[in-house]
Order: sequence, then C-alpha cells, then structure tokens
Amino acid sequence: MIIVVCIKQVPEIADVKIDPNTKPLIREGVPTILNPFDEFAIEEALRIKEKQGGEIIVVSMGPSQAKQAILKCLAMGADRAIHLTDSLFAGADTLATASTLSKTIRKFVPKFDIILCGKQAIDGDTGQVPLEISELLGIPRISGITKLEIEDRKVVAHREIDEGYEVLESKLPVLLTALKGLNEPRLPNIRGILSAKKKEIKIVTASDLDSNTNQFGLTGSPTQVVKIHTPEPRAGGIIIHEDDPKIAVNKLVQFLKKERIL
Amino acid sequence: MKYRKVNERVLKQLAAIVEPNDILSDRERILDYASDESSIEPHYPEVVVRTNTTEEVSKILRLANQELIPVTPRGGGTGLCGGAVPIYGGILISFEKMNQILELDAENLMITVEPGVFVLDLHTYVEEHDLLYPPDPGQKLGTIGGNISTNAGGMRGVKYGVTRDFVQGLEVVLPTSEIIDLGGKTVKNSTGYSLIDLIIGAEGTLGVITKAILRLVPLSKLSSTLYVPYKNLQDASSTVSKIIQNKIIPPAIEFVDQSSILVAERYLKRSMPRNDAPAYVLIRIEDKDETQINADIEAVGEICLENNALDVLVADTRGKQEEIWEGRSCIIDAAKAEGLVEVVDCVVPRASIPALIKGLNDIAKKYGVECQNFGHAGDGNVHTNILKKTMNDDEWNNKIPHLLLDIYTLSVSLHGTISGEHGIGLTRKQYFPMARDEKQIELMKEIKRVFDPNNILNPGKIFDLD
Ligand SMILES: Cc1cc2nc3c(=O)[nH]c(=O)nc-3n(C[C@H](O)[C@H](O)[C@H](O)COP(=O)(O)OP(=O)(O)OC[C@H]3O[C@@H](n4cnc5c(N)ncnc54)[C@H](O)[C@@H]3O)c2cc1C
Ligand SMILES: Cc1cc2nc3c(=O)[nH]c(=O)nc-3n(C[C@H](O)[C@H](O)[C@H](O)COP(=O)(O)OP(=O)(O)OC[C@H]3O[C@@H](n4cnc5c(N)ncnc54)[C@H](O)[C@@H]3O)c2cc1C
Repeated sequence: MIIVVCIKQVPEIADVKIDPNTKPLIREGVPTILNPFDEFAIEEALRIKEKQGGEIIVVSMGPSQAKQAILKCLAMGADRAIHLTDSLFAGADTLATASTLSKTIRKFVPKFDIILCGKQAIDGDTGQVPLEISELLGIPRISGITKLEIEDRKVVAHREIDEGYEVLESKLPVLLTALKGLNEPRLPNIRGILSAKKKEIKIVTASDLDSNTNQFGLTGSPTQVVKIHTPEPRAGGIIIHEDDPKIAVNKLVQFLKKERIL
Repeated sequence: MKYRKVNERVLKQLAAIVEPNDILSDRERILDYASDESSIEPHYPEVVVRTNTTEEVSKILRLANQELIPVTPRGGGTGLCGGAVPIYGGILISFEKMNQILELDAENLMITVEPGVFVLDLHTYVEEHDLLYPPDPGQKLGTIGGNISTNAGGMRGVKYGVTRDFVQGLEVVLPTSEIIDLGGKTVKNSTGYSLIDLIIGAEGTLGVITKAILRLVPLSKLSSTLYVPYKNLQDASSTVSKIIQNKIIPPAIEFVDQSSILVAERYLKRSMPRNDAPAYVLIRIEDKDETQINADIEAVGEICLENNALDVLVADTRGKQEEIWEGRSCIIDAAKAEGLVEVVDCVVPRASIPALIKGLNDIAKKYGVECQNFGHAGDGNVHTNILKKTMNDDEWNNKIPHLLLDIYTLSVSLHGTISGEHGIGLTRKQYFPMARDEKQIELMKEIKRVFDPNNILNPGKIFDLD
C-alpha cells in the first residue's frame, strides 16, 4: 500500500492572540505544530502500514521551518518526505496549494493507493485543499472520516454527518480526510526522532514541477483576500430556568413573539 | 492552654472592624473552614472573619491578643498537615477577599499580590505577560499566602527551587498587631537577620502575611515533555541522578509508579500515553530556541535509554503536554476520590531515592496496606499515598502512627527529613523531634515566644509550647 499524507505546519492555536482593534491574528513568537487533524491522518497511515505493509510518503508545502512538522511525521514512522519550498509558492490560495500538491504527487508518487489529509488546517480553516486535490487528480474522496477499514482494493469508511455517520465505500486509489475520533495519535519516541534525521526529505521547488512558474503562489491564485476581519464573538444563548415547564414554555413563547420569530 | 471564648462583646468589636457580612458564625457556613486536605477530623472556628485590608487584620490581632483568643490564618485550605485547622476554635482569618494582583513590575520582573491570590490565577496572569512564576505545586487552588507559609515546592524545583527562592518582600502583621515590611525589591540584602526567611515556612505561627512581592523569570515559550516508562523503580530513579550528573537541569523531573498512573487514568477517565510499565519518569524541557530544545530532548532521551528505559515518548504540543502533567498533578486528588488517604512527603538526598522507594514499599507490605509512590524525583522529594481501601477504621487508626514512625525513621536514616514541602502543622507534630535536635527546637520555641508572647497565633502547630 502506497500512502501519501499531506501535512501542514500551523501556529499553535491556543497561543494565537486576537487583537480586537487592529490585526486579526498575532503570530509573532507563537510556537508552531503539526496541524492536529494531520496527526490523525499520519497515525491512520501508520496503522494501515502496520497491517498491510507498504510505504508512507509525507508531502508538505511550506517555508523551511515546516521541516519541524515533517520531522515529527518521520519520527512517528513515515518513510520519507517531500518538502515543497520555494518563494514562488508563497501567497498560494487553496486552489494554487491543491494544484501544487497534486502536481507533486502525480510526478513523484504516481502509483499511490491512498492519500490521507486532515479535514482542515486550524489556521486557514477552509477544508478545501484535500477536495481540490482529489478533483485535480480525478480520484474519489471521502471527507471527515472517523473510522476506516480496508478490504482488498477498497475502503469502507464512516463519514461524520449532523445526524450521525454514513458508511461509504470506495475503490482505490482514494483520498480521505481525517477527523478527531479516527484514532489516538501516538507520541513520537526518541528512537524515531533520531532515525527521522536519517530519512530522506526531498526538497522540491517550482521549477522541478513546471517550467511555467507563474501558475504557483500568489500569481497562480484566482482568489484574492480583499479584507480580513474578526467575526463578532457570538453572544451566549438564553436559558429559561423554571421549575414548572408550563411557565417556562410561556416565557419562551412570549420571548419568541417579542423577537418576532413567531 | 487557657484561651478565652469569642463572646458577644468580642463579636461586637469584630463588627466594628469589618463589614457584618464578612463575619460568619453559623455552623453551616463555617463548615468549610473546619478542615483542610489532611485526614484529621474537623475543628470548628468560633467565628470566621473575611478581611479586606491589612489594617483590619492588624485590628483583629490587637483584639485577639488582648482577649487571649487564638487566631488561625487560612488560605485555600489545601494544606496536607492540618496547618489551617483551628484546633482551639477562636477566630479564623480567611483571605478569600484579599485576592488581588496589585502590581506587575515588568522592569524589575516582580509582582506584588495579596495573600489570597490562587497560584492558578498568578500563573495565568504572568504567563499572559510572557513571564513565569516558577513554583508550581500540584494543587493550583492553594493561595500565595499558604504557599509562602508552607514554603511550597512543586514541579519546577529541580531547576528553579521552591517558593522561598521567589519571595522578595512581605508585609506581615505580627501577633502583637504591628505591621512590618520585610525584604523588598532589591535583589541583594546584607542588612541584619533575615526575618523574612523566618516567616516563610512558619505555617502562620509567627505572623500573618498580608502582601507579598514575588520574583518572576522570563517565560520559555517552547517546551516538550518526555514520558519515559521503565521496567523497575530502580532504573527510573537512577536515571534522575544521571541526567543531573550530565549537567542538564530540566525544570521538572517527576517520578510516578504504575499504581499512580492507573488511579490518574480512572480519575480523569482517559488514558495516559502508556500504563503497562511499573515506573515512569516525566521530564519537561524548556527553551527559547528550537535547536537547543531538540538537542536537549535527544541528550536526555539517550540518557534514559542508557538507563534501561523501555521507551522515551516525546510530547511537543501544548495539549498533549498538559494532558501528561494533569495526569501527574491529579494523583493525590485521584486517590482521595477513591477513599481515605494518608499523604506522606519524605525528602532525601537525590541519590537515595531508590533506597527510599524500596523501603517505603517494604513498610507498606509489612503493614498490609497499598501505596502509591510519585513525586518530585529531581528534588529527592517522594510523595506516598497510603490507601485505606477497605481496612476497618480501628485497624487503620492503630496502624497509621506505627507505619508513619517506620517511614520517618527510614527517611531520617537516609539523611532526609519528614516533610519536603507540605509542612509539619498538626499531623507531623509528634514526629517533629525525629527530624530536628533538641537545641534547634528550643531555639524555634524561643523565637515563637518573642514573636507571639501570648501564643495566640495558630497555636499547637509544628510544636507545643510547654
Ligand atoms: C481567500 C484566501 C486567500 C489566501 N491568501 C493567502 C496569501 O495571500 N498568502 C498565504 O500565505 N496564504 C493565503 N491563504 C491561506 C492558504 O491559501 C491556505 O493556508 C492554504 O491554501 C491551505 O488551506 P487551509 O489552510 O484552509 O487548509 P485546509 O484546506 O483546511 O487543509 C486541509 C488539509 O489539506 C492539507 N494541506 C493544506 N495545506 C497544505 C500544505 N501547504 N501542504 C500540504 N498539505 C496541505 C492538510 O492535510 C490539511 O489538513 C489564503 C486563504 C484563502 C482562503
Ligand atoms: C492534591 C494536592 C496536591 C498538592 N501538591 C502540592 C505540591 O506539589 N507541592 C506543595 O508544596 N504542596 C502541595 N500540596 C499542599 C498544599 O497545596 C500546599 O501546602 C499549599 O501551600 C497550601 O496553601 P493554602 O492556601 O491552601 O494554605 P492553607 O491550607 O489554607 O494553609 C496552610 C498553612 O499556611 C498558613 N497560612 C495560610 N495563609 C496565610 C497567611 N496569609 N499568612 C500566614 N499564614 C498563612 C495556615 O495557617 C496554614 O498553617 C498539595 C495539596 C493537595 C490537596
């Protein structure tokens, strides 16, 4: 089984301070981590490999510091990595990110069986990149999975929905995005950390992928950020406390009428 | 001891000092002030006074000193030796309303606080300013006043030291009602006897702390935590000395046995990274620099492996690290949630930890009780939860004093002492002469008499004045 895991390094959100007056996010001096959803993805890949054998290739696009997140995946047990790093990649929107990642996979890991991604990156938060990758590669996808089984050349996955979960089946190759609950990611250990340093991290730049480099990064991005704003914090709900349910219902109806909802 | 009761007249005088609603005397409301976290039975104060200012504290002490009424200062009531339990009744002063952070002096890296500030709130506050108050006792709902009075330790002792090392200045009200300022913001001080050091760790017997200036250090933003399982206690404890011998001083090195991990898992209702090994060492590594932190992780990790660690797991995210440290911090609470516990607090020179732990387990076996060993291995401070489980009350009450005597004899024979950080208070009073010689105890009693001629401030703690 050849498994590609796409991972992103993100700021540790617990630390991100929001300045209400000016900029939305203060990232200065904030530690960075492997995107938590990607941890579930890498863990699932390791479990598949432990059962079925194969190879795990980590792919990440990001500045040179992203190496730390890549090393963590290698320490957990991934076999090798491809690090897409080039100033030409900077400023990519989700489509440019997905197209760069899919070009890389097509060129360097053409015979993959499964691509695992996180459901979303906790900074960008769009959840678009994996779905765009699957479109660009022309393969099926199942997003937001909480359980995975692999039988012969097909996968059976639980996909979380509002009402519960769906059970979906797909043939390989397939792209899957991981949700909390899929597994409990292992902690890397010191042997893993030491051996990660000896594993291959292939550096790939824009010109390695295409001679026409203006399709990458900012110039290759159809979307533009016009304005960034911090959403108003949501006001807490109202709870009506009454011992007598009749009185409570009455109050609720009155309230809804006053707000012209009824 | 002949103390007078808190009568109507005294109550009236108290009402002239503080607001009426800060005086509590009905039994239901003072129930919470009758015990602490030790296993001794409740003793009710006659009246609880919630003070708001230093002046109020001073007036109360003047009154109590005139009327010969015992006064017990109380912080969070999380003490483990009965220090805040008012065994002679009288007036209990609670600092729950004196809980303000007064000033953060970023230039001098110092903070001024009222005594009722919880450690938890102090930590959160200074960390928001990228600073650290290193003393880190497991119980975060203890107060600064209580921490200073017990000279609390905690998880960062190896590298930074204990509460005493971070107290720069104190405002203290003496039992005779005078208000004195000790220490201050100067880093150095060669000006006579260090009275501040007498107040620190005095368990509220020499004076009442009404304000404290504490020292802070810059916060190292990056940290990792190593979770290291071992196949026996000996290897785990010898690793600790080896790490320090190698001149790496991590801020925290903690030791936990398997039974402690399992009780923490039951209490938190989640699993720790591993629970199948008999012993564990938890190590926190901090630095400002990523390369340095990685180098330290590798160096410490290799020392662990050389000392037969079964594995060395590395948690780098804040969330994972907090899960591990929460597991460590909750062990006393977790054990208490399952039944009666006697918490022992031995401290020995670091290199004697293996001997101490082996001895503790032998003693527990001799008395037929189960125990959990865990603690601040880097400081040689081992906590032991002695579990009552289903043993009947009589048997337990008979056995505990003998068992403790054996344990303290062992600790003293290893050149250790009977309390590393919880204090003597009430529960260790009878064992105190094992740890300090006659002359020293006599000096301490003389000091107590000088500070408190009428013996009204927290009487009956540490030793009895005869
Ligand atoms: C409108 C818009 C404009 C933007 N403009 C800029 C800009 O000008 N400059 C800029 O730096 N950023 C910009 N971004 C952010 C950038 O586009 C996204 O961070 C990036 O495309 C990934 O999207 P995401 O963070 O939402 O990831 P998601 O789609 O939420 O990520 C889901 C999963 O996809 C995979 N994945 C995502 N990103 C990567 C990656 N880089 N490498 C490997 N795998 C990955 C991971 O498995 C991840 O869990 C912009 C985003 C938007 C929405
Ligand atoms: C689960 C648990 C874990 C713990 N972990 C640790 C640990 O890791 N390290 C550690 O050192 N301790 C630990 N402790 C013990 C306890 O938290 C400390 O002893 C703490 O310092 C007590 O603070 P407190 O405010 O609760 O004091 P209290 O219990 O209210 O009082 C303790 C003593 O201080 C005196 N006192 C309180 N306030 C003042 C004041 N303002 N002026 C004068 N005297 C005063 C009291 O009279 C009493 O003698 C733990 C306790 C529990 C229950």
